[in-house]
Amino acid sequence: MRVSRALMARYAFCYLMLAIPTALFVVFRIIPIARTLQLSTLNWDLISPAKPFVGLGNFRELLLDPNFQLALSNTTIFAAVTVTASVVLALLVALPLARGVRLEGLYQLLYFLPFVAPTVPEAVAWKWICDTRYGVLNYLLSLVGLGPVSWLTEPRATLWAVIIMSVWKTLGYNMILFIVGLRAIPAEYTEAALIDGAAGWRHFRSITLPLLMPTVLLITVISTIAAYNVFTQVYVLASDIQGSPAGLVRVLIYDIFENAFRFYRMGYASAEATVFFVIVLGLTLIQFRVLRSQTE
Amino acid sequence: MGRQGAHWPGVVLILILAVVVISAPAGRAAPAVEVSIWGGYPEIAPIYQRAAEAYQQAHPNVKVTVLTTDIRDYERKLAASLPSDTAGNILEVEAPTVERYIEAGLIPKAPPDIAQFVRSRSFNASAQEAASVGPDVYGVPWFAGVGALYYNTEMFKEAGVAGPPQTMDELMAVAKKLVKVDAQGRVVRSGVSLRLFGAGSGVAEKFAILMWPRGGELLTRNAQGKYKAGYDNDAGRATLKMHIDAVFVNKVDSLDIKHDAESFELGQTAMFERESWVIGDIQKNAPTLKYQTAAIPRDQRWGTIVGSVSLYTSRSAKNPDVAWDFVKFLTQPQFERQLLQEVGWIPLRQDVNFDPVIAKFPQYKGFLIRDPKYVYWSMPNIKDFDEIETKLAARLVAAYRDATLAGNAAGIANVLHTAAGETNTILKRDGLYGE
Repeated sequence: MRVSRALMARYAFCYLMLAIPTALFVVFRIIPIARTLQLSTLNWDLISPAKPFVGLGNFRELLLDPNFQLALSNTTIFAAVTVTASVVLALLVALPLARGVRLEGLYQLLYFLPFVAPTVPEAVAWKWICDTRYGVLNYLLSLVGLGPVSWLTEPRATLWAVIIMSVWKTLGYNMILFIVGLRAIPAEYTEAALIDGAAGWRHFRSITLPLLMPTVLLITVISTIAAYNVFTQVYVLASDIQGSPAGLVRVLIYDIFENAFRFYRMGYASAEATVFFVIVLGLTLIQFRVLRSQTE
Repeated sequence: MGRQGAHWPGVVLILILAVVVISAPAGRAAPAVEVSIWGGYPEIAPIYQRAAEAYQQAHPNVKVTVLTTDIRDYERKLAASLPSDTAGNILEVEAPTVERYIEAGLIPKAPPDIAQFVRSRSFNASAQEAASVGPDVYGVPWFAGVGALYYNTEMFKEAGVAGPPQTMDELMAVAKKLVKVDAQGRVVRSGVSLRLFGAGSGVAEKFAILMWPRGGELLTRNAQGKYKAGYDNDAGRATLKMHIDAVFVNKVDSLDIKHDAESFELGQTAMFERESWVIGDIQKNAPTLKYQTAAIPRDQRWGTIVGSVSLYTSRSAKNPDVAWDFVKFLTQPQFERQLLQEVGWIPLRQDVNFDPVIAKFPQYKGFLIRDPKYVYWSMPNIKDFDEIETKLAARLVAAYRDATLAGNAAGIANVLHTAAGETNTILKRDGLYGE
């Protein structure tokens, strides 16, 4: 079979176009991951040319490190609550907006604004919102008779303050994805369900939700990865002199950052990053398996 | 076609003009020597800039560029740029950080004339030690963070307290007189603002400053130059008890109110310990505040912490002789006085007369105590120190909020014993531990 020159040129063009992003992906993703895996077996201080091989020594130390255990626990609590709350709340907000309500654009803007705004100034504003004595959050609680909460000095409360802020920030993004997903559901299904008498909750449970599962899967995976990567909010809300139980609200990225760039323990931080990578990869695969089975 | 062709003369004219502009000789000769100075304290940048301009006037062939960023970013920048030989020529480095760079051969020794200057009477022994490793001088001592006690004179007057506390026992007694509580018994103004929380090593450092007079220190060094935890003892236990009592027993401080310089500037505390930069900060944020500074109260010993910052050159500096000459120029008396008056860090040259500045800002007195009994002590310059301090700080923060430790001597001892175990494990890991 003879292949024409034009077809060959087209193939060459396609492979070239595929090769460029593949090369970028290899350079900026695959090689750093491989390098991190390699570094995790070394004892390197970022400065010294000597990098002695320590095998699995960094991983053994990690398992016994109370800071790592605390960071893992805090990050898991944060991710579980933030992902659940932001997915459920975003869906609740998206349902009426997808149908089209008055001032729909304004509502979408209001919910989406925190997502596009920079996190650092937002976190600084939340520090004031969460102030024990003068914060709006405690003022609102006082209206319903609840006592003041030390949002930024009590470790558990601080974690909740970070969770509340993060849900507020990610809600708008998830909402937009849900609106797109809801509007993509063919109108015939809804009409057929209504003719068959399925309305309200039954319609939502039997028609909308199953058809929305690919969107739910997408949002859950994106939100979980983002939640495990939490850093800025924790760094600003819980890591300076005025407001923070500091190390007690440590999360994984904070711990990796501290080990790498404050203690100059690049090998140890790389081992931590490797464990972190495996956890997020595992969770993503589980989510794909569980949620995809419901979409098929 | 005809229209396009009509543009040609214009295009040619623009090209000719561009070539003429690019190839035209500059108004003045380009500097032959470039020197850069990098620092982690942006507030010092105007002093560097002023010195650079003065130096350039005296040496027209030299161009000095200044780059400062906040300290944490700067530390990361150094860690990335020094090994890759892309760092600035002159570098501000804190004593505990510089050791690792010297060990790795990234910071060279100072030339003999600079070493002689450092070893002269211009600097005290502590400053000389901070810029040296053993007998070898690597940098020129520049400034230091020195601790002192800030106190609000109006609050003292109002509470009938004559002067600042002289001893550690008096510190708490005075704090009790100065604290203010609201109708619900909540502290609205602390008698003394202790460092009860915060990120990183600061909590442990402040703990050490109040423990040192009692005879403790974070790390003790043996004759072989090895270290072990120096706070699992009576001094450490008394200091931890003082913090816990301040929150849960005497209630002179609280976890729910603002702390540190912000608290002092807002009039929400009567006393706190801090470095001299707060004086400059108060000038900006609370210029009407009535306050003074005093020595850290004494106990078995009397003294305060000194955290020195020296100026070094990088091994990749292309013109090291010019770089060192600029360092010497920068440490002249007029710039040292400007550093004290305008920024508030304590310059390390001891042969400079700072009286004109002190006359203007008497608050600096608390940082420049010349009493021979008053010891200016430093933290050890070892690479693990930040990790040791930071991990101890996390344990102290947890302890300070643990009400079960109030009146619980065994609990307090256990906290410090466990923390000391962690400190010693870190030292052992890097071969720095010794009994």
